[in-house]
Amino acid sequence: MSEPLLSVRGLTKHFPLTRGVVFRRQIGSVQAVDGVSFDLHEGETLGLVGESGCGKSTTARLLMRLIEPTAGEAIYGGEDIFTMSRAQLRRLRRDIQIIFQDPYASLDPRMTVGSIIGEGWEVHPDLVPKGQRRAEVSRLLEQVGLEAGHADRFPHQFSGGQRQRIGIARALAVRPEVLILDEPVSALDVSVQAQVINLIEQLQDEYGFAALFIAHDLSVVRHISDRIAVMYLGKIVESGVADEIYERPAHPYTQALLSAVPSPDPTITRRERIRLEGDVPSPANPPSGCRFRTRCWKADERCAEEEPALVDRFGHGHPSACHYADVSDVIGSSGQE
Amino acid sequence: MNGDYNAATASGRSPLPPGEPVLEVRDLHVEFRTRRGTLRAVNGVSWSLEPGETLAILGESGSGKSVSAQAIMGLIDSPPGFITEGEIRFRGEDLFALSEDRRRRIRGDGVAMVFQDALTALNPVFSVGWQIAETYRVHRGTPKREAYAKAAELLDRVGIPSAHERLNSYPHEFSGGMRQRAMIAMALALDPEVLIADEPTTALDVTVQAQIMDLLTELRSELGMGLVLITHDLAVVAENADRVAVMYAGRIVEEGTVSEVFTEPAHPYTLGLMHSIPPLHRRVAALDPIPGTPPNPARIPPGCPFHPRCAFARQHCREVEPPLERVGEGRASACHYWEEVKGGE
Repeated sequence: MSEPLLSVRGLTKHFPLTRGVVFRRQIGSVQAVDGVSFDLHEGETLGLVGESGCGKSTTARLLMRLIEPTAGEAIYGGEDIFTMSRAQLRRLRRDIQIIFQDPYASLDPRMTVGSIIGEGWEVHPDLVPKGQRRAEVSRLLEQVGLEAGHADRFPHQFSGGQRQRIGIARALAVRPEVLILDEPVSALDVSVQAQVINLIEQLQDEYGFAALFIAHDLSVVRHISDRIAVMYLGKIVESGVADEIYERPAHPYTQALLSAVPSPDPTITRRERIRLEGDVPSPANPPSGCRFRTRCWKADERCAEEEPALVDRFGHGHPSACHYADVSDVIGSSGQE
Repeated sequence: MNGDYNAATASGRSPLPPGEPVLEVRDLHVEFRTRRGTLRAVNGVSWSLEPGETLAILGESGSGKSVSAQAIMGLIDSPPGFITEGEIRFRGEDLFALSEDRRRRIRGDGVAMVFQDALTALNPVFSVGWQIAETYRVHRGTPKREAYAKAAELLDRVGIPSAHERLNSYPHEFSGGMRQRAMIAMALALDPEVLIADEPTTALDVTVQAQIMDLLTELRSELGMGLVLITHDLAVVAENADRVAVMYAGRIVEEGTVSEVFTEPAHPYTLGLMHSIPPLHRRVAALDPIPGTPPNPARIPPGCPFHPRCAFARQHCREVEPPLERVGEGRASACHYWEEVKGGE
């Protein structure tokens, strides 16, 4: 495989928990992201899945340097994102673009759609010459399924799905190498969701950007991703090619997650559902050893003492972080073709 | 863990004659009169619920799916909301023809509701135990100590661990799933015959979602309650409901048993929704979504409200609104060309 475009190693973010106003002291920390490593290759889509609080959105914010990490590195273009100079950062923020979940909060309500899309060109004037900007905005709008005439309107005149399209056009305007999509379709209606997913795929074919697709909807993630990493409580517990993860999940958490997804097809008879007890523990006080052990039916003393490493246990090129990892087709993929 | 949860006996209600719906909505019209115009949120919706059955009301935002439930519970602020036509019958009695007092009694006792967002539905300044006990004290005049004991029993029933100790906890001290359980406990307090659940799992994580749906299904069969499940999620409908009513632009466009509607949809909107969701079990090349967006309730297209987004539409659809008509045993569709839709699948 070629050199990765983005290489993340040991990424860690602990938010301090403090008490007191005048004499602030740290009483602990929320371990939002803890030692996350992954590679993103040119043109591919990596899906990052997990439930709320697993650290997937924090990972995105770290890579954008919207927040600073506690430890770890992210190598992009031979440089560590976290030690880049201001000039390098300016370039980075052109190369890595992000699209957020809430299309209502992520567009400035006082700017026209045209100026929102063209804003990046103020910082990077060499991208599009001034005289051609109007035409380029029109072209981008049409490309994301809107009309050239929409450039003079304001965000409130658009529906949620249309706003998400505007956000995509804004990101594409600076020709990014990497697009981070943080729950880009979760706030949209089912029919509109599918339109936006198709649009993202189509644009990726055309522009060739790599995508980090963060979502909690496992059907959507399977549809769009080449590879998938499953996160639980700040750590990646399993990763691999999409079909491997869905058809041969090895980590108990991945299995539970997949088996909990309801199926819209009443003719599919599910294998028995794995019922997880309780809730995700607090990241301020994660369990010792394996973080999933408090909800895991396989857990024993070893899991409390020894943290399982994320390693390829079956030679499938599909690492899992469980002492007792065992492949099981929980969604019954075979025989459903 | 146990107790007498039989709805009919606990609240002194007689059993319904077989085949009699416990809750019935007939030709309901709800509109909101705003400065920008009149929004017809619900436009002639009818459905009925048998005791012990689960009816799903499926729709996207703005389809009117929640408004009809709010009308049943008397939760529509008026103005701007007005129920302009229709009947809501609980055990045959028309709610709108009853005295305010009797109506409140039915809404408190016979029909209960759980919401999507338990954090806003529960009162943040009272403990969870207090809020449940209050229900007994107000509606049944139960003494305080006994009311708390019943509250603990209910919390235990909905799967809250060490329920007795959690009585004094406040809603913010519960996790999302626990709060949802507490809200369900509160709704069950008076042994309702009908539970309306409005997007009960939308705000929850997948694994917790499954726990809550399992709990609702279990309670329904154990207590013999009818369940009205309002949701946008086709998969939740497929796995949990007996019958489904699909809503679009304030109307029911298709109705039938879940297995029939999902295997052989008879309305292009239902068909389009099914094509919009990627399957979990295999990969498809591209999704085939419905084009366009749901209509603004202030500007519903003439003729069939779905025609601008419909692949089957022709001139007739732009002019004449199709009524919801019977298209088979227990099935109805509001499409002029339902036979084509059904045959094409």
